[in-house]
Amino acid sequence: MSIKIRVRGKVRGGVAEIKALMKHPMESGRRINKKTGKPYPPKFIQNVEVAVNGTKAVDAQWSGAVSANPYMAVKVKANKGDEVVINVVDNTGDKGSAKLKLK
Amino acid sequence: MKRRSFLKGTLATGAAVVAVNAGLLTPSAVLADWNKAAFEAKKVDEAIKAVFGTTAAGESGDLVLKAPEIAENGAVTPITVDASKMSGVESIAILADKNPTPLVCVYNFSGPALGYVSTRIKMGETMNVIAIVKAGGKLYKAQQQVKVTIGGCGG
Repeated sequence: MSIKIRVRGKVRGGVAEIKALMKHPMESGRRINKKTGKPYPPKFIQNVEVAVNGTKAVDAQWSGAVSANPYMAVKVKANKGDEVVINVVDNTGDKGSAKLKLK
Repeated sequence: MKRRSFLKGTLATGAAVVAVNAGLLTPSAVLADWNKAAFEAKKVDEAIKAVFGTTAAGESGDLVLKAPEIAENGAVTPITVDASKMSGVESIAILADKNPTPLVCVYNFSGPALGYVSTRIKMGETMNVIAIVKAGGKLYKAQQQVKVTIGGCGG
């Protein structure tokens, strides 16, 4: 299953703030299923990569302590028309990707 | 009867152990660049050391950690670490000191990126949020207490 990502970005004074919202349960593996008494299996995004015009800018590693449906904002030096690509992978190998042309 | 419940018990724990092992083993097999030791560290210092190799951190006026004083819902605590005024920011780590595994996330920057991160994290109880920034080969630390009225873990 692919992870859905919504991404937005706006350039202001040569700096773009890139905001991404991902749809993901971010299950840490610690939450207990009250019916069975066993923890829900962990499922969380582990790696997030942001690239601008093909150059890697941000490379993040996450634990299950990032909130469900994670929101992330980063800033990069960029110009209008630059292409931003976000790639994410979770601990079960599910992937997601999103592209954006900066305005 | 005793024997029966004993068997049941061992079976249940056995299954749980298998599940945990499977859950923990898959990520390292799939992703080589996920710092397992750091994310599984149970103490703040251990986690910082596993990420940066040292825990010696100074302070900087250009490092701004924005966190709410009171988080109504600990499961979504907005945190912003702004080190964009610092030059040569290599990475930012966010930790929550009383979480079972304190390390929340590590961001590494390269090329066109500025030292700025805004995200939302889970916090189980009232605790300190710690931001560690590595800039120009040195570590800088900022810390703020967040009061949590509803826990983010368990639930």
